[in-house]
Amino acid sequence: MRNIIKRFPGVVANDDVSIEVYPGEVLALLGENGAGKTTLMNILYGLYKPDSGEIIVSGKQVSFRSPRDAILNGIGMVHQHFMLIDDFTVVENIILGLSEFGIIIDFKTAIRRIEEISRKFGLQVDPYRKIWQLSAGEKQRVEIVKALFRNAKILILDEPTSVLTPQESEALFKTLRKFVEAGMAVIFITHKLQEVMAVADRIVVLRKGKVVGRLRREEATIPQLARMMVGREVLFKLEKKPVTPGKKALEVKGLWVMGDKGVPAVKDVSLQLRCGEILGIAGIAGNGQKELVEAIYGLRSPIKGTIKIFGYDMVRGTVRDRILRGISLIPEERIRIGIIPDFSTAENLVLEQVDFEPFSKPILGSIKKIDFEKINRYAEKLIKEFNIVTPSPSTRAANLSGGNIQRLILARELSRGSDLIIAEEPTAGLDVGATEYIRKLLLEARSNGKAVLLVSGELSEVLSLSDKVVVMYEGEIVGGFKPDTLSLEDVGLLMAGAKRMSREEVAKLWT
Amino acid sequence: MDLKIKVEEREASLFTFILTPIIAFLFAFLVGGILMEWAGVSPVDGYSAFLGGAFGSPRKLADTLVRMVPFLLMGVGIALSNRGNVLNIGAEGQFIMGAIAATWISMLLQDFTPWPIITVLAFLLSLGAGGIWGGIAGYLKAKMGINEVVTTVMMNWLAFKLLQWLLRGPLKNPESEMWPMSPHIKAKMPIVIPGTRLHLGFIISILIAYLTYYLLFKTNMGFKLRACGKNPFSAKYAGYNVENMIILSMIISGGLAGLAGSIEVMGVHHFLYEGISVGLGYTAIIVSLVGKDHPLAIIPSSFIFGAIYNGVVYLQATTGLSYTFSKALEGMIYIFVLISELLARYRIRIG
Repeated sequence: MRNIIKRFPGVVANDDVSIEVYPGEVLALLGENGAGKTTLMNILYGLYKPDSGEIIVSGKQVSFRSPRDAILNGIGMVHQHFMLIDDFTVVENIILGLSEFGIIIDFKTAIRRIEEISRKFGLQVDPYRKIWQLSAGEKQRVEIVKALFRNAKILILDEPTSVLTPQESEALFKTLRKFVEAGMAVIFITHKLQEVMAVADRIVVLRKGKVVGRLRREEATIPQLARMMVGREVLFKLEKKPVTPGKKALEVKGLWVMGDKGVPAVKDVSLQLRCGEILGIAGIAGNGQKELVEAIYGLRSPIKGTIKIFGYDMVRGTVRDRILRGISLIPEERIRIGIIPDFSTAENLVLEQVDFEPFSKPILGSIKKIDFEKINRYAEKLIKEFNIVTPSPSTRAANLSGGNIQRLILARELSRGSDLIIAEEPTAGLDVGATEYIRKLLLEARSNGKAVLLVSGELSEVLSLSDKVVVMYEGEIVGGFKPDTLSLEDVGLLMAGAKRMSREEVAKLWT
Repeated sequence: MDLKIKVEEREASLFTFILTPIIAFLFAFLVGGILMEWAGVSPVDGYSAFLGGAFGSPRKLADTLVRMVPFLLMGVGIALSNRGNVLNIGAEGQFIMGAIAATWISMLLQDFTPWPIITVLAFLLSLGAGGIWGGIAGYLKAKMGINEVVTTVMMNWLAFKLLQWLLRGPLKNPESEMWPMSPHIKAKMPIVIPGTRLHLGFIISILIAYLTYYLLFKTNMGFKLRACGKNPFSAKYAGYNVENMIILSMIISGGLAGLAGSIEVMGVHHFLYEGISVGLGYTAIIVSLVGKDHPLAIIPSSFIFGAIYNGVVYLQATTGLSYTFSKALEGMIYIFVLISELLARYRIRIG
């Protein structure tokens, strides 16, 4: 792939990326979430069209209009989320969409070939079972067999170990070596450093859509890779006034939260946050931060543990209870969760407060009349205060730009008198100006004696804003420190799960 | 060959929104006219009969207004649940439950209670009966994620079968041997214009349309209901109880359909029979669609559909066209309306 450029609205996902992979090798594509690894591979697999750049397969320049073209050119991809039909059997899934089996399907031949493939590479699959009966590891093997069945010469695996147990991962690595011995090329997408060292021949590191490193495994060391992956960014000088921490705003003890995959996503997490403090949660996205935030805000009920907010036990409380106690959340998924796109800017600015005086007055029981005039005046004030660029308060929120949607959300969440503010990836995908402004707002909240819980995959942001930092890896807190007391390299190692601090060391942070 | 059909949502202006149903009606009448010609009836005669039936005299106009009442009440209810993104296909069944409730309370009390009291009781009871019938579907959707389209359609059949059984059992009129029907009930809707059939239900339905508009667009309840409908994720995040909103919208929607059922029995027929609603609840879905789920726009929309309903009946009576023909014309109008709505809301590209 040469000079691939792919833009999405507001971001450049791949900025002039070139990679090459040869038969008989495993290429690891390393990078944080959002670095552009998956986008690049989706381009190779024909799911996206690049804005510019060329793809050359076996010396021939190609242009894929759909995955079908990619498959015909010997490219196979196993996605992070499986593309299998639950109610079909393994063999049905594997031959799905192949015309060579005709209208009356020749299952015998198909099964014979599947068994051949599984014997050759040690990929155990039972062709007669239905997909819903299989574990994640088994489903992955079906996906791999499916690609091989279509004569894949280049196999792309997107974060293949995220659904596997350590033993299953070991087995997968062995299989990958067999592929390589058979002359295939494997592209392995990951953000886990040990895996790279265990399986790759060559490594390409991506950061923010750009290639920042190319090296052979023998030349690479884990600390070096960590530094490349996380990077360091020159931050604008932010003024951080000294603040004496106030009362306890948030206390989480021994919290366990179930994730969407049916396994705990947050494991035994404890932390404390005081007013006038910013507590940063660092970590690569997908290590339980989202589930932790959802549990604190009441969107997800924990399995066990306690959550105290300003001293009140809130484990069983609803979101509404928490809003009344003064918590604000700036959600990561701005458009999906943060706003109602079809509602006006003004209406979006009072989402949580529409029930309260002075925005509405009771007329009958809990039915209240909304005072749209007051809402508009309030909205005009916030629009001015937070520099939200919108033609008028009645403009639909969907018509605002990404940065202005985030300003709208911050204006709403910071203006409703909350003393505990949870900010989830508050600057992700924003331009430099908006990013700087939003960081300044968070620091201002801190100076005003508010407690801020900052979740961010961007390490430089966490380190420069926070008073204290904890690192999450696979649902656990693996480190806790004050910024500037740990080298960037050590933080990178904590984030990648290559190192961990003891519980006692982390607990020192709260005293 | 790669033939792709792309469907994209587009923002339509108010003008197209008003224009599309009109164009749809014109098309339907054009095709209907061709069919009439084919059936040996002059389209001019046919349509003058049609228009005469709907608006020909003050009495006929009043009948059209009477016909509009159930469409308006059910259409407004359906609009409200649609705003909460809950699709109530069950107005038909909720209407029947309301009609049953009104008949039952009247039969129970009419020998010793003055009719106005029974009428008020029938109102409340039919609101409750329809509300429960709709609320069950809402509860199943909110708590168990069961699709409300399926449950409401199933409950329509349940209500209809219940009606059939009641008319042959507990609510049977012993004097009627041939047709299953209930005895005459004394609860009624007073006539507002003497010499016509226009009853109080008309004024009540207009009032309720306005109240629903007020609830949806001027109160916190309506705000939250619409928010839950537009984006349940952000509604949940803003601390709204999305599940309760789903149930509430189905209770109100069902309640209004139930009320329509009791007004129909008390205002038009004065007894209950199997044909109390032959698809009125389904037509009301289209009424609400043409009214863009806006309670005030559903007032003219239900008027048009009331006119079509009565016009078609008159067309059949005066021209000798069969019942099936008039139903086919009605169906054609609905199909053209649906197509034009689709074209107004979405841009369809081929290639």
